[in-house]
Amino acid sequence: MRLAAALLGALLATPAWADCALDLGRGAGWVVFSDRYLMTFRADPLRIEVGEPFALVVNVCTRRGRAAQLVAVDANMPEHRHGMNYRATIVGQGDGRFRAEGLLFHMPGRWEITFDVGTGDESERLTHDIILK
Amino acid sequence: MIRLLLLVCMLAAGAVGVRAQPLLDWSPKEITAVGRHGPWPPPPVRDPSNKVSGTPAGVSLGEYLFNEPRLSGDGRMSCASCHQAGREWSDGLAKARGAVELDRRTPSLWNIGYLHWFGWDGAGDSLWAQTIRPLLDPREMNGGPNRAAALLRGDPALACGYEQAFGNKPGDDDERLLVDSAKALAAFQETLVSPRTPFDDFRDALLAGDREGASRYPLAAQRGLKLFIGEAGCNLCHLGPRFTNGEFGDIGIPFFVRPGEVDPGRLGGLQSLAASPFNLLGRYNDDATGNNKRRTRHVQRLHSNFGEFRVPGLRQVGRGGPYMHNGSLATLEEVVRHYSEVSPDRLHSDGTPLVRPLGLTAQQSADLVAFLRSLDAEPPQRPVPAPLCP
Repeated sequence: MRLAAALLGALLATPAWADCALDLGRGAGWVVFSDRYLMTFRADPLRIEVGEPFALVVNVCTRRGRAAQLVAVDANMPEHRHGMNYRATIVGQGDGRFRAEGLLFHMPGRWEITFDVGTGDESERLTHDIILK
Repeated sequence: MIRLLLLVCMLAAGAVGVRAQPLLDWSPKEITAVGRHGPWPPPPVRDPSNKVSGTPAGVSLGEYLFNEPRLSGDGRMSCASCHQAGREWSDGLAKARGAVELDRRTPSLWNIGYLHWFGWDGAGDSLWAQTIRPLLDPREMNGGPNRAAALLRGDPALACGYEQAFGNKPGDDDERLLVDSAKALAAFQETLVSPRTPFDDFRDALLAGDREGASRYPLAAQRGLKLFIGEAGCNLCHLGPRFTNGEFGDIGIPFFVRPGEVDPGRLGGLQSLAASPFNLLGRYNDDATGNNKRRTRHVQRLHSNFGEFRVPGLRQVGRGGPYMHNGSLATLEEVVRHYSEVSPDRLHSDGTPLVRPLGLTAQQSADLVAFLRSLDAEPPQRPVPAPLCP
């Protein structure tokens, strides 16, 4: 968590990204990035519980500091070869943030969350693992 | 004298056997895993979709309706005909018997109010919506859509109970009265919380560091519990205080109900859910916040749902049975043998590899059964319900 916060701090301090706000509001979050995109997200509620619905608040930018779109969010358990029983829907918050509503992890273990992000005609899939106990 | 000495020795040995069994070594990780199966009992159920959930008048009306045979088409069957208090709120039969014999077993109602999906196939997204199904189903109580309303309007005691619960006299909207009957029935069912068990005493003692208290838990049950949360991985689905994640799984039980006919399980349940006017997206949901609609709104119907059935809770499991959604296994020993020997070929091609043959030894199987039986306890006698309107 400290590492994520440090990374986020360092990234936010870089002038090239100043036009794309990565502020998620209250609470801690995760940072995911690729060669092209930079994304922060946190769960709502902050603590994800097995069997309880939750949302993800997501902010995604290009590495050049432009706003990008969150197109889809999904999750699966690679070890068990199954996904969620629920399909998340994405709602733009109007302030550059997105809210992925309706996720639910029905088992403890490693969940791989996938984020399809893009700008116009190009898109990319970012992933992040969460261990749920 | 020799006889007396022998007796003293035997009594001492017996006393030691009862009082001081060894306690197995429990790692911090195992203690954490055991702790997640409690505490018990949980806080009482409050269902925001049901305005009479948790209200004494709603519970009282619901208990009367639960035992009311006039809700059925032939006037002979009540909810209590299949969900019998003396049979762990089930009926002890492999296949439920309504107006005809059904393809699935009568599920126990213990701890039913804590679920989010109801019925073996999860066709109900609230307990009251699920309760409407057997009232109307021609194969079960066959009550028809107007029977509950006529009863509430025509029986003075029930009409009085209705007014106390809902704050107004029974009106002329039959569908509304059907839903309200189901909501009162649900309020009663939510009170069916299973008693504390030897496992709960062990769990609490283990977490409190009370070695003496924890060592009262039989060794076989301790070994079985270690398997349950460890090597066997049962707690991946049978998790939490109720020993269920409340979702659905395919565990290799045959899905043919008769030649050429299958039970699609969750796949069919989701179809029924979407078509139901009583689901939580409809007008009878009393939750003004809309928060309780999330599961219903976002659940997806997948091909892999075929042949999946709800993961049942395990409290009081040893006192129930037969087992599985279709009552195909008669004893707990057979259930454990199923998981020990299940053939991967019997699972659907896209079934999860969570279920695999465990290959248990005879000792391990017996230990798992001992653990499961430690989730049982004698429920207290239920008091006779007070008159609805004395």
